Amino acid sequence: MPDQSQDLSLLETLDHLLDRGVVIAGEAVISIGDVDLLYLGLNIVLANVDALIRTTERR
Amino acid sequence: MRAVVIGVHLRREDIEPVAEAIPLGELFLSGAAVADDQPLGDRDLVLRVAQMRASLLERATFIAIRYGFAVRSSEEAMAKCATQIERWRRLLALHRDNVEMTLKVAVASTRPRPERQAFASGADYLRALHEATRAADVDPRFREAASRLGNCRWVHRDGRSLECVLLVARDGVERVRAAGEQLKRDFPEIPFLLSGPWPLEVFADDDHK
Repeated sequence: MPDQSQDLSLLETLDHLLDRGVVIAGEAVISIGDVDLLYLGLNIVLANVDALIRTTERR
Repeated sequence: MRAVVIGVHLRREDIEPVAEAIPLGELFLSGAAVADDQPLGDRDLVLRVAQMRASLLERATFIAIRYGFAVRSSEEAMAKCATQIERWRRLLALHRDNVEMTLKVAVASTRPRPERQAFASGADYLRALHEATRAADVDPRFREAASRLGNCRWVHRDGRSLECVLLVARDGVERVRAAGEQLKRDFPEIPFLLSGPWPLEVFADDDHK
């Protein structure tokens, strides 16, 4: 039988990794071939919708 | 090659050899090396970083950086984080012996999630979503009892749960776990999950209200 407490622990660990902590502004360059087309300022690369909403509200 | 950043630390020896230490002024970032062609969403990478994060916390408290921030050099890290260094240094010195613990509580009642089609403006829809989340609350007696466990901040995560984030001395973790067991006995009707220790996540934010 799978150990449910281990599954729960992994779920919590991933939740904290992906949805907690300080958000750093990053940058991304979108290119086609060797030509840079757009330079974007990104605040979140991976986040769920609720995290995005909270971040938006606090600005 | 680049490094996905895990956290901010006071000392290099708190990081190596568990992770790569990236100098950041007086501080250091911990990072996990990632090949240029490996996406940050790669399952094995995420699990590896989660494991490294746990190992780093066993050594010393650090400020958690949300997954997804990657740098190629110390200079790049400095360019993106320079304005935060002094604040981070102060927080790390202040909370060197503290960790966070999270008490996630199921809310007593939920407000229905707003219908997207009911809003003409995206901003109004986001505002309504946020208000629905903020409306979530728990039994006030439980809230009071949980708040007595220590220095805590209540955080609305979603419409179904509320979190009491506790700042706990490292040697107080077992005391909080025992207090959590007592809460289960005192409030058997309220489902909650106590987890941790975690690095500084919520208490890394000076602006929390």
